[in-house]
Amino acid sequence: MAHPFNLSSGKSVRIPFNRTIVVFVIIALLTIGFSFFIPVKWHLIRIDQLWVIFSRLFTPSHSRTWGDYFSFMLTLGDPLLATLQMSLAGTVIGCVLAVPVAVLAARNIFKSKIISIPVKLLMNLVRTIPTMILAILATFFVGLGILSGIIAIAIFSFGIMAKMLYEAIETVDMGPFEALESTGANKIVAFQHAVVSQIAPIFISYTIYIFEINIRASAVLGYVGAGGIGAVIKNNILYNYDRVGATIIVMLVVILIVQFTSNYIRRKLQ
Amino acid sequence: MIRFVNVFKTYDNGVQALKGVSLTINDGEFVAIIGLSGAGKSTLLRSINKMHAITSGQLLVDDVDVAQLKGKQLRLLRRSIGMIFQSFNLVKRMSVYKNVLAGRVAYHSTVTSLGFFPREDRYIALEALDTMGILEKAFTRVDQLSGGQQQRVALARSLAQKPKIILADEPVASLDPITTVQVMNDFSKINRDFGITIVANMHHVDLALKYAKRIIGIRDGLIVYDGPSKDINDKILESIYGRSLAHDEVLGVE
Repeated sequence: MAHPFNLSSGKSVRIPFNRTIVVFVIIALLTIGFSFFIPVKWHLIRIDQLWVIFSRLFTPSHSRTWGDYFSFMLTLGDPLLATLQMSLAGTVIGCVLAVPVAVLAARNIFKSKIISIPVKLLMNLVRTIPTMILAILATFFVGLGILSGIIAIAIFSFGIMAKMLYEAIETVDMGPFEALESTGANKIVAFQHAVVSQIAPIFISYTIYIFEINIRASAVLGYVGAGGIGAVIKNNILYNYDRVGATIIVMLVVILIVQFTSNYIRRKLQ
Repeated sequence: MIRFVNVFKTYDNGVQALKGVSLTINDGEFVAIIGLSGAGKSTLLRSINKMHAITSGQLLVDDVDVAQLKGKQLRLLRRSIGMIFQSFNLVKRMSVYKNVLAGRVAYHSTVTSLGFFPREDRYIALEALDTMGILEKAFTRVDQLSGGQQQRVALARSLAQKPKIILADEPVASLDPITTVQVMNDFSKINRDFGITIVANMHHVDLALKYAKRIIGIRDGLIVYDGPSKDINDKILESIYGRSLAHDEVLGVE
């Protein structure tokens, strides 16, 4: 393909061919080809209904007034609080429990595979279970309500945090750890002084990010009986589109506020 | 006193780093170890505080057999030996003061070390910073400092440890020529004023000759020269490095 370069010294250099672009093109073609086999029922698609649904969501229905529409938003305080409590408690519990597991999985701290392999296996197992399934399972044990949501969110948060944190620990600069061991510190103290200070900002940043994800997820969890905002949506989705619309608006505002705050704090942490 | 008696070290991958090293370093000496990369300088240095364990032979520090030490006893030995690294090994996002205070952790139980340090330790940390002339940087984050200043912070951390010996593994290899001289002067000062034994691995032969009174030349895991730095000549350097050094390779710093 490419002609070799003949240098003035008489040497000949052939620049190796870059395969990345070929692999990329092949994957892209496979993806497009694969999509042809998705069975799309074109006769069922009714784009015109989109506008109907939108207008029903965001205007009062059943002879209700705009006053009713907005006063309904005010009644959402309690379920909203339940959703926030569920997300916050679940996030904190899950993220804190993930710390020891992440440390055990990090190969730069625990060199032995006997510890890290089973721990990583457990971590991967936890992450394969969808949050909805976790919530349904939790309702079997603790009944319907916010507690089942907390358990589901805690397990979900644990799964993400353990994985992200152990990867962060593995990329930490181990020089200070070595230096502290050389001063006669034991491994726990060396970890505290040399590693914790390096991963603490990462941990806080991830926790806030996971909280952000969980607020969104917890709205869906209401569907399987975990209470909160999700339960309100579930109870109204068949007959009261306007109430669902009002709930969506409130959720949107809350999520936006959390997201902006989270972005701000995480920028400050760097 | 550090004493090697016929010490061998073979790494797990089969590399023989030390092949029968015997030497004695007395208290208060300033010794430079020179040799090619991979000759065993680092292994020699790191076996003294058992950061690497020796394979056979005997290694005594103040008549204590280092090979037998483990757990608490090993940590007590390490506490009395400071260590300086080429890449400083400081926690970059922490303040200078906190890094130096970390040199005190081995004096306390695990629980105390996780919490607050006694006032006396904080005093020792500040004194160490003052000795190194960087007290005014105490509450600056380490990543704001230059390389030379960072190495001084590392030296202050070692001083806070109240060591009898300081091991320095290529302490100036990543510094520019001017800061190199400053940091080497700091080593001299510590050696002179506190009587701390200094054992330093050096790449720069001229610096080693200028600052250390004694040179240990190591080649392929064996000691090929051990004597006063003033007796070093081209023939000895050739035996250490395998070929004679060109004039410009030896001279760099006045």
